Amino acid sequence: MNFDSVLLEHMMEPKNYGELESHNSEGIGKNPENGEKVIVFLDVKGSDPTIEDISFQAIGCMTTVTAGSIITSEAKGLTFSRAQDLIAATLGILDDVPPEEAACSEMVVLALKAAMDTYMERRKDFEFPVISYKIENSCYPQNNTPVGDLKDD
Amino acid sequence: MTRLAVSTHEVWLELLMAGFMASGKSKQILFDFSDIVFRHFTWMEQYLIDEGIEYDYNRQSIPIKVDKLSVILADIAFRLRQIDLQLIVCGDQALCERITSDIGYITFVLNNIEDETVSAFDLSRKFGDCDLTQEATDALTLFLFEESYKEYELIMIYNYLKAHTQDHYLIRVFQILIDESFFHLKSFGQMMADMGILGVPRVIYKELYKITDVTQFLKDGINEEILAKEECKKLSEAVGNESVELSRFFDCINMQEDYHIELMKRALEHYESINNDK
Repeated sequence: MNFDSVLLEHMMEPKNYGELESHNSEGIGKNPENGEKVIVFLDVKGSDPTIEDISFQAIGCMTTVTAGSIITSEAKGLTFSRAQDLIAATLGILDDVPPEEAACSEMVVLALKAAMDTYMERRKDFEFPVISYKIENSCYPQNNTPVGDLKDD
Repeated sequence: MTRLAVSTHEVWLELLMAGFMASGKSKQILFDFSDIVFRHFTWMEQYLIDEGIEYDYNRQSIPIKVDKLSVILADIAFRLRQIDLQLIVCGDQALCERITSDIGYITFVLNNIEDETVSAFDLSRKFGDCDLTQEATDALTLFLFEESYKEYELIMIYNYLKAHTQDHYLIRVFQILIDESFFHLKSFGQMMADMGILGVPRVIYKELYKITDVTQFLKDGINEEILAKEECKKLSEAVGNESVELSRFFDCINMQEDYHIELMKRALEHYESINNDK
């Protein structure tokens, strides 16, 4: 991790952290390898769905929290169409990053996507359950196995 | 009453953070006040449990970035006065009187603490006179963020478990682990303040402390302590050439984890035996 001042500020005071008091959708991104997960809460408004407010919570490492802080800050105020672009662009960047470094950001992006998909489903079915996506990248460097037992998913 | 507990949780952490920012005599005063307010929090928690009121450890984020100590002390005094006003909802008269009395004294002392410039947010990432390499500085930075949160998380988990068990042996073990995590949190928080990267640990996810499977939690906890030992060992080696003091500190933390592992193994054995007897 390259610790520039912007990154350090996100680490010292993560933005949009915690459960959003008023939200109408949520989604989960999770790592089946170790039980880490991110949940994104959305307050969506308008006929052209727009992310009025957003927050996240994580069971995960500092890298995940920092990624959550940055990505949710970027997503706030975007229409779903623009947010889809943000998701695609971020996943594109992660393609060129070693899997163990990409896993945390992927978890956040998938949680955002899950929250948006949950919202769209709930337009048709108010009681649609929270959508959850699993990451593809591995948190552990190749040829390295995790120490100790894994948490339950 | 749940709102009162949340406010008290927030002031406990804010006082702790102010302690990291302060120097000299003020530092110890603020740490002592922080400990007192933490005890208020646990007493309120017990009241909620006794009354069968649902509660959790959610709270708002706490803005602490200030240039002058007096700014955060004024905010703490304001929040304490708000707590005092909210005490009307607490049905435990003795507890209310105790907290009101403490708040009166604490706010009086806070008003008289000498102001000073705060450097806990200057992002210097210098640790005293140590000339750490970039790699060692980065490793230390990440470690402090990860572990300061982890220690806060452990305090809250053990506190929750302790509050929800009647077993004296487990209460004793959880209290030891809480005390140990307080030492670690205070040590890491102070290092973060010294390096200009102080931050409040983030809010804990509910399912981490509202534990349904204590056996699995203790097993996972033992594995996490083993991982923490590895991190301390790596860090001790990374800073060993530049700072004997830091290296010795991380070796000490590493050895302390051994005792935590032993305590958790004993707690696991005890928990399984009392549950097998049922």
